[in-house]
Amino acid sequence: MSHTAASQEPMSALDRMSRSLTWKRFIFLIALFMFLALIVFPFYWMISSSFKTRAEIGAREPVYIPESLNLDAYRELFDPSHPSFQDFGRAIFNSLLVAIPTSLIAVILSILGAYAIARLAFPGKNIMVNGILMIYLFPGVLIIIPLFAMLARLGTMLSFDVQDNLSVLVFTYLAQTLPVALYMLVNYFRTIPTEIEQAGLIDGCSRLGVIWRITLPLAIPAVISVGIYTFMIAWNEFLYAFIFLNDSNMFTMPIAVNTIFNNPTPRPHVVMAASTIMTLPVMFLFLAMERYLAEGLSAGGVKG
Amino acid sequence: MQGTEERSVPCFPQGYAMTSLTESTDVSKSSRAYRWRRRWKSQEAQETRLAWLLILPTAVIVLGLVVFPAIFSIWISFHKVGLGDLNNVFDTPFVGLDNFKSVVNDFAFKPGPLPPDWAEANFFQKIWLALTKWNWGAAITTIVFSFTSTVWTVLLGLGASLLLNHPFRGRGITRAVFLVPYIAPIVGVAFVWRWILDPRPSGVLNDVLLNLGLIDLPVAYLAQRGLALLLVILFTGWRYFPFAMLMILARLQAIDKTMYEAARVDGANTWQQFRHVTLPELRYVIGAIFLLRLMWTFNKFDDIFLLTGGGFGTKVLPILTVEFSFRLRDFGKGAATGMILLVMLVVFLLVYTKVVMKNVEEA
Repeated sequence: MSHTAASQEPMSALDRMSRSLTWKRFIFLIALFMFLALIVFPFYWMISSSFKTRAEIGAREPVYIPESLNLDAYRELFDPSHPSFQDFGRAIFNSLLVAIPTSLIAVILSILGAYAIARLAFPGKNIMVNGILMIYLFPGVLIIIPLFAMLARLGTMLSFDVQDNLSVLVFTYLAQTLPVALYMLVNYFRTIPTEIEQAGLIDGCSRLGVIWRITLPLAIPAVISVGIYTFMIAWNEFLYAFIFLNDSNMFTMPIAVNTIFNNPTPRPHVVMAASTIMTLPVMFLFLAMERYLAEGLSAGGVKG
Repeated sequence: MQGTEERSVPCFPQGYAMTSLTESTDVSKSSRAYRWRRRWKSQEAQETRLAWLLILPTAVIVLGLVVFPAIFSIWISFHKVGLGDLNNVFDTPFVGLDNFKSVVNDFAFKPGPLPPDWAEANFFQKIWLALTKWNWGAAITTIVFSFTSTVWTVLLGLGASLLLNHPFRGRGITRAVFLVPYIAPIVGVAFVWRWILDPRPSGVLNDVLLNLGLIDLPVAYLAQRGLALLLVILFTGWRYFPFAMLMILARLQAIDKTMYEAARVDGANTWQQFRHVTLPELRYVIGAIFLLRLMWTFNKFDDIFLLTGGGFGTKVLPILTVEFSFRLRDFGKGAATGMILLVMLVVFLLVYTKVVMKNVEEA
């Protein structure tokens, strides 16, 4: 590519492309493409596999584009008249029954707690904050053994079931999500100038009035992202649900999907359909709120 | 609206301040009770009480369901606790270090014997045998798994953040797409990867590699020692790089652009700019990410359990903990395994912070 040749002849399209495509740009595009392909393909594969027929799933070679939007797999999940009906609706309901209370309670409790940590001085505050952060260190698998023993004991004392009890799950998820929720909100509250609150106090608002009327409206983005994160953690959680749930009527979605996967006759299209149902809401929720949520991610919103 | 003023009213009668003024002149009446009352009513004390009240529910849940169990697990690890003992845990016999001994001597924990043809093998064959035939045991597997996957995660995150630091059309949506593996439910992504890696020829990877002629027969990728662990590590990077990416990207965008101009004026090429301007700026954030990710990866259960079930050389300590406790129903041994995991992590953290602190002082 010499200048003289280019200035004399009209440039062909190929020539122009080779000009703009420097080595650096080429590597950049290849890398970008690799990243995108490796991220997008599994999700494409999940969704497309869920629409395949049994024949397409069992074919000798993978079918990359299903013939039609076949709903067999979804029928197996939701249609009671299907011979191997899975009652996935029940699992969705159970998951919501766990995730919504977890998220609501975590938001309310963490707003109150975070306000206390961010705004009020009290003895023992530093110990408490550091102690709560120490939880990052503790393996979930280590906590679950004593938790199980403790709750079994409490259960016989107060006569409630530890196994197959969704409210036990809500409490364990709260214990997991509260520290992170608290941490995220404390950081956000600290960015709100205290002068506004002091003005409120002088004008005769009580502390709780200040939280409700001034701090909360200003912290809506953080509150929304805490709500979504705690919802997502409860919605996705596997280990605790796996240990605490035995009765298939009480299964949350992750456990139900795992059960379908471990069925002796493998039915990947059904597993993929169930995974799709589980993944898509979370993905849409996240992509819709991405602007708010990305910050929370780096603040440790999803511990995992 | 419940306020502090309202809450303090029932505790003290109206006009209390008036009487207290007269009382305070009388030395005999400035009793302990009086001083206590005065302290109780001061604004500082009210704030403290409010603060505790606000944080109490969180503290109770976190203390009761995390901190107490964490301490309790130490106790359990020194006792013989089986499934039948759960209703009267405190009556179980103290067994000293028996649980720990039993874990350390378990064939799933300690390294197995060397593979049979080890003696005849040359150096490279030995490396190959060690990677593909030798049972490392959960302790070594955990260390290898967590370190390599953390390094891999940070490298992927660094690469992705450098890509996204370039302005290009569609950067916003690309960033959002890059975050998806991190937030998608683990069960869904683990099973879709298992389906891609399916051992039958209908698995995507088998199909691609067969068509490219790289393999002659379909491979059971997740059922081979060595390969399974490698794939689990690659998967961990795939799933967790977005966290590293976001943190590094934030730091990259805060780097002063004039530093690059200065470097260019001095004749630095792209690599030299990266090496001498970008990397030093990223040092601390990468150190922090490495620490956090290592802690989380060390304790990871779901990903490996769902991908391989802990078989074929991927049995890490968290999986062993759950197996001992809930499959063998030996909670004492399970807790001991968990404690070993925690101790390994704490030792590493101490060493790491010491080394990093030392570097900070030198810098």
